[in-house]
Amino acid sequence: MSGDRDTQPVGRRNRRPVGPWRVVIRVFLWAMALGWLVPLLLPLYASLRPYAETAAEGYFSLPKTLNFDYYVQAWQGGNLPRHFLNTLLVAVPAVVLTLFFASFVAFLISRRRLPGGRLLLILFTAGNLLPQQVVLTPLYLMYTKIPLPWWMSWPSELVYDSYWGIIAIHVAFQTGFCVFVLSNYMDTIPRELIEAATVDGAGVWRQYWQVVLPLVRPALGALGTLEFAWIYNDFLWAVVLMSTGDKLPVTSALNNLRSVYFTDYNLLAAGSILVALPTLIVFFVLQRQFVAGLTLGANKG
Amino acid sequence: MATVQPGRTVPAMRARPTPGPLNRRRLLGGAAYAAGALALPVGLAACEKPTDGGGGGGTVTFGSNYSDEVPKKAVAEVLAASGLDVKINTVDHNTFQENITRYLQATPDDVFTWFSGFRMQYFAAQGLATDISDIWQSIGGDFSAAMKQASTGTDGKQYFVPFYYYPWAVFYRKSVFQEKGYQVPKTWDDLKALATKMKSDGLIPIAMADKDGWPAMGTFDYINMRSNGYDFHVSLMAGKESWEDNRVKQVFTLWRELLPYCQPGANGRTWQEAAQSLGQKQTGMYLLGMFVGQQFQGEVAADMDFFPFPQIVEAHGQDAVEAPIDGFMISSKVKNVDGAKELLRYLASAKAQNAYLRSDPNNVATHNGADTSGYSALQKKAVELVGGAKQISQFLDRDTRPDFASTVMIPSLQSFLNKPDDVDGLCKRIESQKKTIFAS
Repeated sequence: MSGDRDTQPVGRRNRRPVGPWRVVIRVFLWAMALGWLVPLLLPLYASLRPYAETAAEGYFSLPKTLNFDYYVQAWQGGNLPRHFLNTLLVAVPAVVLTLFFASFVAFLISRRRLPGGRLLLILFTAGNLLPQQVVLTPLYLMYTKIPLPWWMSWPSELVYDSYWGIIAIHVAFQTGFCVFVLSNYMDTIPRELIEAATVDGAGVWRQYWQVVLPLVRPALGALGTLEFAWIYNDFLWAVVLMSTGDKLPVTSALNNLRSVYFTDYNLLAAGSILVALPTLIVFFVLQRQFVAGLTLGANKG
Repeated sequence: MATVQPGRTVPAMRARPTPGPLNRRRLLGGAAYAAGALALPVGLAACEKPTDGGGGGGTVTFGSNYSDEVPKKAVAEVLAASGLDVKINTVDHNTFQENITRYLQATPDDVFTWFSGFRMQYFAAQGLATDISDIWQSIGGDFSAAMKQASTGTDGKQYFVPFYYYPWAVFYRKSVFQEKGYQVPKTWDDLKALATKMKSDGLIPIAMADKDGWPAMGTFDYINMRSNGYDFHVSLMAGKESWEDNRVKQVFTLWRELLPYCQPGANGRTWQEAAQSLGQKQTGMYLLGMFVGQQFQGEVAADMDFFPFPQIVEAHGQDAVEAPIDGFMISSKVKNVDGAKELLRYLASAKAQNAYLRSDPNNVATHNGADTSGYSALQKKAVELVGGAKQISQFLDRDTRPDFASTVMIPSLQSFLNKPDDVDGLCKRIESQKKTIFAS
């Protein structure tokens, strides 16, 4: 994250004559950029070549065969379409709910001056620092003991092995960060707007829904893209809290591409690229949102 | 307050650029979509709610780690022919293994795929498996005593139905041995003599790979069983013997004698690469499981042969064979016991095993009466090898606690291959870590 933040001031630096120091910096930056790109480009290259070829000649050799066979194989063999759908079933509701709840809390803390609101904010932020793995086992035990009706969770009839459980844990963990960002952002909205709305007789709901929410749209957009990428990338929770193979999200489906005694790394590379593609697309299309999201709420207006 | 005019709020809102992909309507739309999406699996579930329980008839759920394409299809066909209504839940084998404890404690399927030996006993002892001694009373005659032994828990009851196995042995190319006039070595000295001869012929005598951490365990197992016997090996694996015992150090010392004949840099090589070197006649011998056959086709595959690991101490001869057995168990939270037992009886039949193994030339059926007419020469030889074995071991990572195998033995064996000289220090480190792990 900090890397992204650093790129901004570098780009904006004033144009000065190119001195030797600047050359050093350029070279350094290019080297760093390559360092970050190689782990992305190497699998891409490997995924286009058959295993036999890379096994015989190494991954850095010149290609003899280049094709998309592995992509077809990964798409079908890994049953990716189904797992992509599973991921959407988790990520979309989780993002929507997170933003919805977080904006509520942020509104209360920032605009309604909730007693103890700041303490709540600190608590939320502190919760963010908690490593998720710490609650893994207790959560697993709780989930296996909370029943759900069969039409919500089949065949387990528990929160365990249901999307509800996964969505809930994502909402719980992501709300803290979103509240922090949104409440800081809401602090920048002129207090007079709310006061004016109050004078006009708008109730709390109307103040929230029609005055504040439209104004925090940029923040919601930025958070939405960020949160989607984070939840999409989750591997841990689904694997720990699910037991039905067909319900697992796409990140864990990559394991389907490894066979028992043998791992075809080229096939795995093709699968990884397919799985990484949505986040990459989201990132490149909404790049500005990402960067905005990272610095949102960093300073108060 | 009076200075604030309501009208001013409107332009303020409009003036803001709206780079966000989200506006209120879309948010609402998104919420509606989310609701719809959540309803979707619910809808699917509604169709599937079966009439479970009852008198043995209903659905049997089957938790499977047969996630590779060919076995997945084969097992589905075998289960479809069972005449029972079986619902398969396939989880990739890696996740399945890592999650097994959580899986068995939460909502396991009625029947699940698992391994025999220590790994089966571990869960049976924790009460996570259903006793199936009654099934064994009817199927017992169809399996060898060693198979039954491998299916029995520490309390003397059976918890496991063996399906197929694959032995570990030393593979070589017949044509190379014929051409150079090599003889299959019977003893440790023969082996070293053969290796010396191969070396002078310009071959790397022994292929070796341990990048993934587990392949070298087979070498340890065999040297230990040949020099110290099966019983010592089993109790060492169960954590009952000290790793600082001279007998263990002897294993590493013997192994070290072989290292000059092995492919150097084993920790950077996958077993596939080592197998390829055997296929390309760069190396002379390779100790691995039958699955090595996956790497060879056509002429090379037909040219493959194996011999049992040579004798080291005469008292132990070539008695023990390493042959991991895969099979099935019933979880303790089983919903349809009668159906699950019926399914296991079917899977223990020669018919089911024949059907499965038609798709898989690298394994061997466990049933005595299984049809071996379709077997390859190697499979037939494997039956002979295991049939003549006095004891069957299950491979290091199945014969001991999984956490000990993966967190202690993998790095230890890899460091041994890198620096074979410090046996005392190595054994000391293993022993101290073993104490911590087995105490938990």
